[in-house]
Amino acid sequence: MASSSISSFALRRVASPKLLPNSSSSFPSNASSFLCLSRSLLFSSPISFQSLPRSSLIPLRAQQQQQQQQQRQHDQDLESVDASLLPPKLRDIIALFQSVPEPKAKYQQLLHYGARLPPLDPAFKTDAHRVRGCVSQVWVRAFADPDDPTAVRFEADSDSALTKGLAALLVFGLSGSPATVIARVPPDFVQLLGLRQSLTPSRNNGFLNMLKLMQQKAVQLYIESAETGESKPVESKTASTTSKEEKNSILGGEAEEVPGESASRVNGNSNLADKDETSERDDIGGRKKRIVERLQQGLSPSELEVEDVSYLHAGHAGVRGSTDGETHFNVRVITKEFEGKSLVKRHRLIYDLLQEELQSGLHALSIDAKTPSEAHSG
Amino acid sequence: MAASLCHFPPAVSSSSSLFVGSKSRSLLLAVSPFKHFPSKSSISASLPWTRSYAVSNDAAAFSVASPSDLRESPSLGEITRPDFPILRQVVNGFNLVYFDNAATSQKPSSVIKALSEYYELYNSNVHRGVHYLSAKATDAYEEARNKVANFVNAADRREIIFTRNATEAINLVAYSWGALNLRPGDEIVLTIAEHHSSIVPWQIVAKKTGAVLKYVELTKEVPDLDQFKGLLSKNTKLVVAHHVSNVLGSVLPIDEIVDWSHKVGAKVLVDACQSVPHMVVDVQKLNVDFLVASSHKMCGPTGAGFLYGKINLLSSMPPFLGGGEMITDVFQDYSTYAEPPSRFEAGTPAIAEAIGLGAAIDYLSSIGMEKIHNYEKKLSEYLYYQLSSVPNIHIYGPAPSDTVHRAALCAFNVDNIHPTDIATFLDEQHGVAVRSGHHCAQPLHRALGVNASARASLYFYNTKEEVDTFIQALKDTIEFFTTAA
Repeated sequence: MASSSISSFALRRVASPKLLPNSSSSFPSNASSFLCLSRSLLFSSPISFQSLPRSSLIPLRAQQQQQQQQQRQHDQDLESVDASLLPPKLRDIIALFQSVPEPKAKYQQLLHYGARLPPLDPAFKTDAHRVRGCVSQVWVRAFADPDDPTAVRFEADSDSALTKGLAALLVFGLSGSPATVIARVPPDFVQLLGLRQSLTPSRNNGFLNMLKLMQQKAVQLYIESAETGESKPVESKTASTTSKEEKNSILGGEAEEVPGESASRVNGNSNLADKDETSERDDIGGRKKRIVERLQQGLSPSELEVEDVSYLHAGHAGVRGSTDGETHFNVRVITKEFEGKSLVKRHRLIYDLLQEELQSGLHALSIDAKTPSEAHSG
Repeated sequence: MAASLCHFPPAVSSSSSLFVGSKSRSLLLAVSPFKHFPSKSSISASLPWTRSYAVSNDAAAFSVASPSDLRESPSLGEITRPDFPILRQVVNGFNLVYFDNAATSQKPSSVIKALSEYYELYNSNVHRGVHYLSAKATDAYEEARNKVANFVNAADRREIIFTRNATEAINLVAYSWGALNLRPGDEIVLTIAEHHSSIVPWQIVAKKTGAVLKYVELTKEVPDLDQFKGLLSKNTKLVVAHHVSNVLGSVLPIDEIVDWSHKVGAKVLVDACQSVPHMVVDVQKLNVDFLVASSHKMCGPTGAGFLYGKINLLSSMPPFLGGGEMITDVFQDYSTYAEPPSRFEAGTPAIAEAIGLGAAIDYLSSIGMEKIHNYEKKLSEYLYYQLSSVPNIHIYGPAPSDTVHRAALCAFNVDNIHPTDIATFLDEQHGVAVRSGHHCAQPLHRALGVNASARASLYFYNTKEEVDTFIQALKDTIEFFTTAA
């Protein structure tokens, strides 16, 4: 999980480990109690720095000013979080965290949330549900509420307790809200929790990526239900090109939410945006259909699931140039044909059946190949 | 430097209870005289700690050598700490305990000073000008090269090529020597414990040339040397091996590996990133063909590293990056190239950084690599055995002994607690900096059967007291997660 920002010196926290992100008055009082003897003694003591000329050190006053500035900026950031954009359940959770001032207790609270998270069906612990950028493994799943089709429900899991806590926070806070509300939740709400979670968008920011993925999946559901015109509880599926653009506009055009993903896709596909929606879906669904057909013919599976996850790979070099997506698929096949065959042989079977696709732009498959007995005992 | 020692207070108090309550107070005891140090029995002498390590948390209970041996002098860690301004800080309300040195080391004031002096006094482009500043800069830059050459005992200063870091150095060998010399069917032997930077460039070049990668697996969590010997064949063209593993803490017998490899006609590239900063590394004695290391792990600035290569090898290698500096004559449709090392240093180099690396080498040499090595050996044993006392912990790599040297780092896992949780809590609630993840060694972690591990890695400015703090913090962390779950 991403490490919290350590850029702010904890000068204000030296006297006690209490965390007070909401109170700007904490800084001067703690500072003065800490520097009870003399400011100069601490950082610019001539004793400690004999070997260096004074000019090469940042004078204490400047350091303090820096920290005051950081604190002010931090408080400004907090004020700038628009509470009206947060779903009520999330606001409740935030209020709970704010009522617990001590960081250790906050972490305990986080762990409790995580413990309350229902376990995620292992079937959903796949790459399509995986949050990028976490040192731990985190999976997130979105589906429409069976009772209320406009509401999105989430499930999540992680092997790290703290990350699971953060995921639980998001799951409990966002579940039940409509996709439009979820998509507009600003990530900086997490500062209100006082966990000092970093918000720097980066490969390693698990929390940020978790939220973004949940928002993305919510929007996918929204698009799908809008397209099909009926509300069925569907698994989040592939985004077609237009939905990609719509999704970006709903998310405020933040193209870097899942690293390396949207920008190149949207740019490459803008010419397709004008086509009729349904014919576009046929074109784009073509490869998926063909894969399904070939595998059905060749393997007579008892269960077959094919999922287009090209959007997850849109950034990397192998895909650039093939403009219609459909480069990466997750394939889950259960068939008696696999009995007695090693994993390598099973994969070879599948690849052989899909030779034509592989030669016409299909880039890679993520394969789950089981026999019926394995699938039901595993 | 000695003058400042007399006055500087210990950055870390000797016992945990004192530590937690009075972090501010200990820093303000600016005038505790030198001779008061030894009165606290927990302050370790730089002399042998006995093997009977006390398992208790109280540092004062730690048994030291017999009175006749016990001289009341501070440890190397205590002596050198004042030179590192960054260590004197408070993180999340606690004195910083920096145990992530395998990722990058801290820099002494002399190195920081060298960097700013370069920019303040004589910054100028090297090798090109004739004026005073450029001559001075060139001298300093080339002097840094000499220092590196002496530090690793290279026979010829031209055998040192400055790069951006060790990763770039390995890529240099891969794209230059590798692309030229590897043919389809040629084999490159690596260990499964290699850093990604020692694996990925070879994957790329193998794909281009048709060469094949072969991996030495683990036995009892160290590379299997018998298997290694078995993998060597007339097809082996290159052996890529770490000197010290950044996860296992184990040390490979490079001199023997070079012997066996040369017998089958293979070259050897050694990743010395975790060894050069911590011990004497003599490239002639080891007889390696290539060796890489990075400046930032040895008290030098980031943005510098070096490749050592035998001069006859380097002379036969084509350029890596093209541009200014590495040429002799440039015509419209072709150019002639300079001799090494210039051939492999295209463009304006990281001049300040190279000079900073030189300053770092001066600093390390003033302490003495033997001294650093001996101190870290004891620190390593102490860390390992203290960690072993933590229940439900598994430390990867070999146990240190008289015959088995172990680096002062421990990658570990605690049952049922994710390493990231441990690292986060250690930082947030104790100010202890360790690393969690795969440490750029995914194949190794897969071989160990885990996704990630936590790693505490020390350097000569760390102290036994910090280890005590870390262990205490770790126990507290484990308690938090086992009771809260």
